[in-house]
Amino acid sequence: MDIRELTIKKFNEGLLNKQFSAFEITQAFFDYIKEKDQEIDAYLHLTKDLALSQAERVDIEVAEGKDLGILAGIPLAIKDNILIEGESATAGSKILANYRAAYDATVIKKLKQAGAIFLGKTNLDEFAMGSSTENSAFKITKNPNDLERVPGGSSGGSAAAVASDMAVAALGSDTGGSIRQPAGFCGVVGLKPTYGAVSRYGLIAMASSLDQIGPIAKTIEDAAILFKEISGKDDLDSTSIDAKYGDELSNPKLEDIKKLKIGIPKEYFIEGLDKRVSSAIDETIKFLKSLKIEFKEISLPHTKYALSCYYIIMPAEVSANLARFDGIRYARTNADHTQTNANDFQRKSASSPRKSALMDIYFETRGRGFGEEAKRRIILGTFVLSSGYYDAYYAKAQKVRRLIKEDFDRAFKEVDVILAPVSPTPAFKIGEKTDDPLAMYLSDIFTIPVNLAGLPGLVIPVKKYKIDSGELPIGFQLIGKPFREADILGIGQYYEKISNF
Amino acid sequence: MSHLITKKTLEYLAELSRIELKKENEEKLLKDLQKILEYFEELKEVDTEDIEPTRLPSPDGEAVGGQVTGGTIGKNVFREDEPPAALSQRRSALMEAFPEKEKGFLKIPPVFE
Repeated sequence: MDIRELTIKKFNEGLLNKQFSAFEITQAFFDYIKEKDQEIDAYLHLTKDLALSQAERVDIEVAEGKDLGILAGIPLAIKDNILIEGESATAGSKILANYRAAYDATVIKKLKQAGAIFLGKTNLDEFAMGSSTENSAFKITKNPNDLERVPGGSSGGSAAAVASDMAVAALGSDTGGSIRQPAGFCGVVGLKPTYGAVSRYGLIAMASSLDQIGPIAKTIEDAAILFKEISGKDDLDSTSIDAKYGDELSNPKLEDIKKLKIGIPKEYFIEGLDKRVSSAIDETIKFLKSLKIEFKEISLPHTKYALSCYYIIMPAEVSANLARFDGIRYARTNADHTQTNANDFQRKSASSPRKSALMDIYFETRGRGFGEEAKRRIILGTFVLSSGYYDAYYAKAQKVRRLIKEDFDRAFKEVDVILAPVSPTPAFKIGEKTDDPLAMYLSDIFTIPVNLAGLPGLVIPVKKYKIDSGELPIGFQLIGKPFREADILGIGQYYEKISNF
Repeated sequence: MSHLITKKTLEYLAELSRIELKKENEEKLLKDLQKILEYFEELKEVDTEDIEPTRLPSPDGEAVGGQVTGGTIGKNVFREDEPPAALSQRRSALMEAFPEKEKGFLKIPPVFE
């Protein structure tokens, strides 16, 4: 069995037919990762002991003839801002370099119950803040299609791991495009669920009104299977909702899919949209039209303001969420990021301009522990929330957010699904945008509105363009009505079957 | 715009954020922030007179009150006021995750004079 060929479906068949054991496959993945990840750098830590013991348990259950779910034994990669009990969870930050999770995230608990296996934790931009994974404090992940390019971000490690076959599928998190943009850059499938569809308990929070955990996979069917497993109401996340997803997620009825009307938002086809991206989208539309799916041009007039709106609301929430990293809890580190003990702290407050020893600990730990982007966002967020500026920035942005949401509400009265580009360009080169934060932020203009409106978004790879140093994938994005993941996954699976991508 | 950030504001914000800035990074950070804030100017074009801040409806269409709820559902969620069993079982794991402990207590650096 070539592990690079495995999907959830194929693995499940092979496991039940006793073509291979979960242990064998898991071991084979670790062997492959050891070699392949030297060039990709997708993983931050491998959870080998946990994975192999999980695999053994699955094999025993297979031998006992137990009724196993479809995810039993599936080797997954998990973004390092999602907690697995006893394993490290750095969120890509030095400030959590020595932290080990005390509990399982709800999504992890659900996947453990389903028998899934965790190979390791994947690289990300620090606290999921970035669009290239270059903001990780630990390493730079490369795009498997072209090692000189970024995998996208912030779930770049998860997308690169799936694209280079170092996991069958993965979990990422998406606050402004962090699942969809890397999926598009790496040429895999990524789903950002409706806000509230998946519990955020155990996800290291970046912006709580925007964050969602979702799957990254090789096929849309796999993404649907994973999504169904992790979704649902959770008492530990009061924003989670029981949306009662049914069988239509992974087994859509074609006759229903064909009746869906797709909207094309004219504001997404702007100047500056890369020709390769627009031609890939054109081809996709032509193809779907040939299947007799109806299209309609729509307008989302406030699209232009989404980026500003997002970069006010998100940092405001970041400044609150990251206040908990104080150098007292979680991990306590020296300048060289080793553990420091209480008795080693010097009482230098008498000579310090600050008022207490506690203040010294805060300023030093946070100044040293956070990277540049995290600091930028904390300070920006503190600014937009501070007295005198609150109305001009934060309150204004929350009003504009409503207008953006209402644009979608109006559009969804005319169409069922919206088709749009994922990002303005294919994967860019490593280092290309690191000096200019605003240029980096602009790579998320087509994904951000979806988070602001709390909608589900699915990215599907459509095409690969030849370039000097390899091939670059391009994807398109399907945006659905709230809690109608079934519509976008349905069209996706239809497209997948017929186009054979 | 009258609200653009100055070096003095930046230092005050760093103080509020409990972040020690490196002198050599301060200028670049200030420039980046100014550029970002300039970009935000476009929001002034949007007429938000009489617009309520965002709330998202739940699947049953219910959306209740609240000022700026930040896009989450403006709906109270209650539970019985009992310690969740899962958490009390987690006591040792939570202790384990803390950097330092002594005799069953969490140990922290000296914080008072």
